Amino acid sequence: MAAALLEEVPGATAVRRRRGGTRYRRLLGFAVPLVMLGLWQVAASTGLFPPRLLPAPSTVGEQLWSFFFGRTGTLTLQGVVPFTGAGPEHLLASLRRCGVSWVLAVCVGTVVGLALGLSSIARDLLDPVLNALRAVPLFAWLPLALVWFGIGEGSARAIIFVGALWPVLVAVGDSTARVPRVHVETARMLGTPRRWLWRRVYLPSALPEVVTGLRLSLTLAWTCVIVGELSGTTLGVGAMMNSARESGRTDQIVVGILVFAVVGLLADLVLRAVTRPWVRWAGA
Amino acid sequence: MSAGSLTAAGLVKAFGDLRVLDGVDLQARPGEVLAVLGPSGCGKSTLLRVLAGFETATAGTVSLDGTALTGPSSERGMVAQAGGLFPWLTLRDNLAFGPRAHGRGETQVRAVVDDLLKATGLEGFADALPKQLSGGMRQRAAIAQVLANRPPVLLLDEPFGALDAQTRLRMHEWLRALLAERPTTTLLVTHDVEEALLLGDRLALLSNRPARVVEELAVPFGADRGRQVLADPDFVKLKSEVLERVLAA
Repeated sequence: MAAALLEEVPGATAVRRRRGGTRYRRLLGFAVPLVMLGLWQVAASTGLFPPRLLPAPSTVGEQLWSFFFGRTGTLTLQGVVPFTGAGPEHLLASLRRCGVSWVLAVCVGTVVGLALGLSSIARDLLDPVLNALRAVPLFAWLPLALVWFGIGEGSARAIIFVGALWPVLVAVGDSTARVPRVHVETARMLGTPRRWLWRRVYLPSALPEVVTGLRLSLTLAWTCVIVGELSGTTLGVGAMMNSARESGRTDQIVVGILVFAVVGLLADLVLRAVTRPWVRWAGA
Repeated sequence: MSAGSLTAAGLVKAFGDLRVLDGVDLQARPGEVLAVLGPSGCGKSTLLRVLAGFETATAGTVSLDGTALTGPSSERGMVAQAGGLFPWLTLRDNLAFGPRAHGRGETQVRAVVDDLLKATGLEGFADALPKQLSGGMRQRAAIAQVLANRPPVLLLDEPFGALDAQTRLRMHEWLRALLAERPTTTLLVTHDVEEALLLGDRLALLSNRPARVVEELAVPFGADRGRQVLADPDFVKLKSEVLERVLAA
């Protein structure tokens, strides 16, 4: 009887129907890149674009292979950015940089966001400053970061941190401020001490929006990696691309773009999979 | 464990210049259902929020068995109009929320929850989320969530207002049976005369805003009244009389 009653809930059947449709739809997402790849190969092999501007996909493929699997001649001279066989090292450096800064941004963003969401005094004190700071373009922080943290790692991490901070902070602040009063009152009435409300009510209620903020923040952090790595690091996908630009290797630049795209996509997929159980209640 | 005699004496509540409660005197005796009836917008919900401790009274006192009360506590379980179920928790976790907040052990929590699932007829839905339940199920669950703490006083703010007429009638019968099993002093706020007469042992009529109690009367039907009482000529007559008084209040 329980199952029969659940069947009557309008949402339940609608969800099932939609899922059935997407099974084949999902394949459409792969069609567009394939068509683009085909057009790109045609354009390159007919000489429509000079290889210096747009190398053929086959060339890029070779470079991509050699970036990750080529016989290594890495880390030759101090300050020289290696390419062949240095892919894993560059990627790891970028990932670590991004990961450290993102986790830090999530922690700081959550704490400050909770303060903004839960305390009107904090909101009155900090909101104008934070909104002004948020409006500063990321590139505008770069010169200051270079002065403060010097060329290299510190500046890169600072830039990524700043880029990743705002989405978390805003998502946590806005969503906790909007938690329905009835939930807070019910929790209090049922005996939840005031100091535990953030854990029992505010955070879970805000979680769907927070997860959206986390995803946005991770994407932005990954985007900021290249900005950070322009500050003169010798390891990192962005550093490799910068060096490729200096030596006119468009094919290697495109390799970098591909790596950024694929890793960014994978990171988002992983984060979505991890956070899905937290937000199931809010889904369709 | 307190007996559950809830007393409001000279309650005044004003929001700025707007006076909502104008010296409300009420007493809900241990174990009875006191239905507070009043015209729409007269301040019924405000009265309940003050009694629950969510709002502070501008003047007057609320006391439970002679002890003055301030702030919300689990001794007065309040069920709001839309229900207070947490949408992110399963039904089981919703019912367990109060006992867990009081630091009860999991074995004890489980026993309380299983008992309430049975009392609400929702055994098959323990792992469902609130959004997967129908409106009637949700309100039953919301009442059970509050009862899990065994409060001496239950405060109900038009708990069945959003339900259709048939479901509401079923809910009335269910609530009567439930309260017969677990005697709890209940203060039910409603604008629905039929609901007040079906559930209440006594009625308190409120005036228009600012609200005062204009009349109290005992409901002359037994505790075992069911839907058949709706056809009782005395019930029909009383219902229209009370309705007149509410409209004239």
